Amino acid sequence: MSNQIIMQNWLINQLAEQLSLNPLNINITEPLTRYGLDSIDAVTMVGDIEDVLDEELPSTLFWDYPTVEKSAQFLADNYDLSAIANSLSSSPAEAKPEAKVPASSGKWGGLFGRKNF
Amino acid sequence: MHPLPAYRVAEALEQDLGNPSQPESIMSFQTVMELDEQEAFPEQELTWLYNWHLQDYYVPINCGGKFTNFEEFLAIVRVLNRRDQTTGIAFTTLFWSFLCWMAGTEAQKEKLSKFIIEEQGALCLGYSEREHGSDLVHGDVTATKVPGGYLLNGEKWPINRATISGISFVLARHGTAGEAKGLSLFMVDKRELADSAYYHLPKILTHGIRGSDMSGIGFNNCFVSDSMLIGKEGDGLELGLKGFQITRTFCAAFSQGAADTALRTTLNFALKRVVYNKTVFDLPQPRKTLVDAFLDILICDCETIGAARGFSVVPEQFSVWAAVVKYFVTTQLETMVNNVYPVLGSRFYLREEHDFGIFQKVLRDNSIISMFDGSTVVNLHALILQFRVLTKARRRRKPQTMEAIQHRLSTIFCLEQPAPNFEPEKLDLFGRGADDCLQGLEIALWQLQELSENSEINLEMLTKLINLGNLILEELNAHDEFITNSKFEFGHDQSPELFEVAKKYCNLHAAASCLHMWIYNRQLLGEFFAQGEWLVLSIHRLLRTMRPMSWGIADVYTENVAQELLRLHQADQLFSIAPIQLGRSSNTTKNNNNSTTENAYV
Repeated sequence: MSNQIIMQNWLINQLAEQLSLNPLNINITEPLTRYGLDSIDAVTMVGDIEDVLDEELPSTLFWDYPTVEKSAQFLADNYDLSAIANSLSSSPAEAKPEAKVPASSGKWGGLFGRKNF
Repeated sequence: MHPLPAYRVAEALEQDLGNPSQPESIMSFQTVMELDEQEAFPEQELTWLYNWHLQDYYVPINCGGKFTNFEEFLAIVRVLNRRDQTTGIAFTTLFWSFLCWMAGTEAQKEKLSKFIIEEQGALCLGYSEREHGSDLVHGDVTATKVPGGYLLNGEKWPINRATISGISFVLARHGTAGEAKGLSLFMVDKRELADSAYYHLPKILTHGIRGSDMSGIGFNNCFVSDSMLIGKEGDGLELGLKGFQITRTFCAAFSQGAADTALRTTLNFALKRVVYNKTVFDLPQPRKTLVDAFLDILICDCETIGAARGFSVVPEQFSVWAAVVKYFVTTQLETMVNNVYPVLGSRFYLREEHDFGIFQKVLRDNSIISMFDGSTVVNLHALILQFRVLTKARRRRKPQTMEAIQHRLSTIFCLEQPAPNFEPEKLDLFGRGADDCLQGLEIALWQLQELSENSEINLEMLTKLINLGNLILEELNAHDEFITNSKFEFGHDQSPELFEVAKKYCNLHAAASCLHMWIYNRQLLGEFFAQGEWLVLSIHRLLRTMRPMSWGIADVYTENVAQELLRLHQADQLFSIAPIQLGRSSNTTKNNNNSTTENAYV
């Protein structure tokens, strides 16, 4: 699978998951706004890709490349998408376990190591 | 002279404006009430401010003005608005110039600087439209490309100062409706337009700020040259939203000015009125009401001054911070004004008598602040969309992240050092989950622990503070837990519960701001501030809105805060963590425009 196709599939999954759509109904050449993703949502979704790629992307990425096809092309041309390929193997709906901040008070010192401040 | 340089221009302005209770002062309560009754535009008052060269503080130093950072600016806008929000808001439409300072060409900046400073020009912002409100990307005002420029068509409404201004910043659509890159921003100089190509819409009658030029502007095949385009074609929405980060934050200063007057005029009454052989202020319930109002002002000071300085340090975090300030400060102070009016009794409703009837004017004028430039709902929604990334960013902090946050927090909150110069090009539409104020809460808690070894600090107060600080952390952790376990959704169909969660986040943010402000300025802002009793009461007040807590925490603290409130009132000082000496005497009259103008150049 080419990088662009990988990215397209990932974006379709994201949109389907977060906008409660059937992935089969997402057309890669339609503007994202067509699916209820407004301009501010589109800025927020850049953060999701940054999370996976661990790269800082332009906040206006989905404004400048407003379809799945165009944004996938831009990302495939400019970034290493291997992390996206790996993430596609797990369901996007599946919450990943992350280190939790202790809920009780007073444990912050241990978490960050107060000597380090 | 104020010990902190950032407050000296505001203090000089106060001295030159004089005491607003005296009818001969500029923008006296009597005058602004008369103007309000006549629904008259405050033309003379604005001319006085221009002659004082207040406009210079809206233009950055590298563009020929005197603006360096927002801490000073905030204090100026605040003292202006304690007299009259109609004039304060009418003058402060100049802050839309930041759109040009942020993205304009050198030629555009030079032109605008000259227009504001030398030609005493005024601005307006043409974003809203009758049919679309804040839905900017669906606007109907169009810009059609023609050789050398664009043709504008359509109407902007309701627009403050649409008629009485020389330059309008206009968002117009050149692309398809709904397209984020379909909007462009123009700095439209009316002097360069054909008379037949534009028109003004009639003044709209309003509930408050009645003298405002609330009107509109329409374009009819109006040619605007390429030189009026700010940034590139298609940059309009991005610039517009970044501009809102600035102006939304500074709407807080409008509310702060109003809050001071509401409390001051109520206190004027409560200290004189005798019932049951006591003054109203000596009765426990009204006294506590006024102390709580004072605490609200102090809390909002910590949040707003922190944000004003934060703009110079973490401009990229303002997709969060601006939304918090715009929601929290304006609504907290709106509620504060509503809370104190029972103390004033029926006089709150009178358009004359006590202090010229200024209270009812403040009540009406101030109620627009939480609405314009992005309403409460718009700001809470902006936070809701960012919660998921905020929670992730907080979870991912490492020791080196905390070190960096601590370094930034000290630059933001330590008022002793002037805030660095503001660099608007560093604003970002999306803060990527960074929020130093709350993500540095553990640092504040650690600093409080360290203070327990300091013998100058009252241990009982500090213990209360540490306990309350731990409750803030507990609530913040619970918030993150909630967000982690909630399903994230884009769009506008957010659950009503999330709006309540967002309000709570803002309360926690304010509580953390109070802690940071105290920690970094304990030895700088005087004895009352240093004692920290106000801080214990403030945090207790904020937490009580989100969890069951005892009604009071220490009566003696409340009494000490009451004494400080009295002291500031008697000394004619602003109710603030950094009190400004207010105009006291009648040595300035309406004909004495430039008496101490040089003070403005400190």
